[in-house]
Amino acid sequence: MNKFQGHISEINTRGNFSVITVTVNNKIKLKSIVIDTPESATYISSDRIVNVVFKETEVILSTDKLPAISLLNRIPGTISEIEAGELLSRVVLCTDIGPVISVISTLAVYELDLTVGCDIMAMIKLNEIILSK
Amino acid sequence: MMDWSPLILTFQLAFITTVILFFISIPLAYWLTHSRFRIKPAIEASISMPLVLPPTVLGFYFLLAFSPGNAFGQWLDEWLGIRLVFTFPGLVIASVIYSLPFMVQPIRSGLSGLSPSMIEASYIMGKSKWTTLLKIELPNIKTSLLTGMVLTFAHTIGEFGVVLMIGGNIPNKTKVASIAIYDEVEALNYDTANQYSLILFVLTFAILLLVYIVNGSNFKYFGYD
Amino acid sequence: MIDVHVFKKLFAPDGTMELDVKLVIDRHSFVTLFGASGAGKTTLLKILAGIVQPDKGQISVNDSKWYDSQRKFSLPPQKRKVGFVFQDYALFPNMTVFQNLEYASFNKKRSKSKIDELIDLMELGGLKDKKPGILSGGQKQRVALARALVESPDILLLDEPLSALDYSMRLKLQEYLLKVHKNYQLTTVLVSHDPGEIIKLSDHIYELKEGKIIRQGKPSEIFGMGQTSAKFSFTGEILHISQEDVLYIVTILIGNDVVKIVADQCEVDQWQPGDKVLVASKAFNPIIRKL
Repeated sequence: MNKFQGHISEINTRGNFSVITVTVNNKIKLKSIVIDTPESATYISSDRIVNVVFKETEVILSTDKLPAISLLNRIPGTISEIEAGELLSRVVLCTDIGPVISVISTLAVYELDLTVGCDIMAMIKLNEIILSK
Repeated sequence: MMDWSPLILTFQLAFITTVILFFISIPLAYWLTHSRFRIKPAIEASISMPLVLPPTVLGFYFLLAFSPGNAFGQWLDEWLGIRLVFTFPGLVIASVIYSLPFMVQPIRSGLSGLSPSMIEASYIMGKSKWTTLLKIELPNIKTSLLTGMVLTFAHTIGEFGVVLMIGGNIPNKTKVASIAIYDEVEALNYDTANQYSLILFVLTFAILLLVYIVNGSNFKYFGYD
Repeated sequence: MIDVHVFKKLFAPDGTMELDVKLVIDRHSFVTLFGASGAGKTTLLKILAGIVQPDKGQISVNDSKWYDSQRKFSLPPQKRKVGFVFQDYALFPNMTVFQNLEYASFNKKRSKSKIDELIDLMELGGLKDKKPGILSGGQKQRVALARALVESPDILLLDEPLSALDYSMRLKLQEYLLKVHKNYQLTTVLVSHDPGEIIKLSDHIYELKEGKIIRQGKPSEIFGMGQTSAKFSFTGEILHISQEDVLYIVTILIGNDVVKIVADQCEVDQWQPGDKVLVASKAFNPIIRKL
């Protein structure tokens, strides 16, 4: 479980859905879609400190600096550690907001030629980010 | 021919003492269990004194206190017309005091062994302390009550020193079996002494045996904790 | 409504502790007192029942005073309309199940139908004439719960009623608790330190630490991930943790279902089988299929 503390910098509500933007470390903006509104959940308010939580298995990696892809939550970093299993590999990234862990297939590690020290972009889908107090 | 009166007197004394002590000891044990009174240790110590004191010491003081030559004895004699020295009532009072710990201690250990939440539950159900004692506490310490009664009964039968001091040796009035045996031995009537002894021996064994059988392992010999 | 503000000096193993709490409990709500053992939860419950006296303060229940130190007034436990379920059940061993319930009533004849109703509700019919000594823990606690309800109390006080029971029995008893709380429109105060149980049962939590209320709020705010945006969340118990490749698979019992969830190494280090956990996911992931 990757968990970072940040503050809510933007709230965009339509009906029961809201897209919340959380700024972590004043550098990285992460967006999350939730079935909640400022009315239904007290934690949704501007500048409120919240945690963003996402699973390691939901962290997508790209060696491209600016990949043309629909994922908008992007955290640049460098690989500090790779633990390769037979099917899955655990990749630890060093980023501006601290270590981010990603679990991807070992095959992908070889295909992308990932090694310790590589510059890398970690990405998380909008609907995979959980907010918690 | 053996005289049965010492044996009858012994069992009368044991029975009356047990009944009186039963009713005295329940409130006393209840008080000792629930109270945090400052003089409680002193009272506990006094109750337990007969356990360690030579019976003759107690007997001696009873004799002094009850004797009409003394203020208390004189007062009893003049105002209430009661003379306790060398009489059966005197014997009963002395026995009650002498056997007190044997009734109080088992009941007390029974009461304090009860779960406090059971008693609290009863109070919360709107029941008074009296109802709780009668319906909850006493029915749940039956083995302790029985232990107390049996020990008291047996202990009173075995009394010698106190009885001799306060009761003397008056046939049909204060001459209980233990004294009769001593008497017969003094008079070298070993046969009669043997008869008394054997009867006491068999009877007390039977009583205790019965209680052990009835209560199984629940019978607490002396709940001294 | 219960309005409590009490103060009492307690003698704990490591010195004295001051119980100083102020809380307001709404009518018909289910409130939990939560906290480490020795925080003063049970004492507070006993103060409400009247079997422990506070040093000072006041307690009022639905506008009638139960305790007021200024007026030197304390309603005796016998007169407070409370039901109390003890951790050790506190059943009377000398009475049958039915007699236990009957003892709790003020008027045996009038209460007969209520007792029968409770025996039905708690499914105690077959045990009616049994003595408590031969009952299982779960059965005993059902009897204790039924007994506490015979005189229709204003407040039901539960002192860790399920802590001595195993997990599946606890789940069952939780259902009974919810049932009676709703059926009899009770105001219930529970002492517990089982988050799963608290989340399932209570409307509001007071967390006590060393005699003081340090937090209060809805169960979802106090437990797990705090208030979370995850809509797909459950509490469960870890059954098993196994390492697979670079990940770990955690087997969790949720209700009667066993689920498997993947976790990272740095999380697993803090867990062990038996731990209560919150399992959460976003509403976007699960798929639904009609059966």
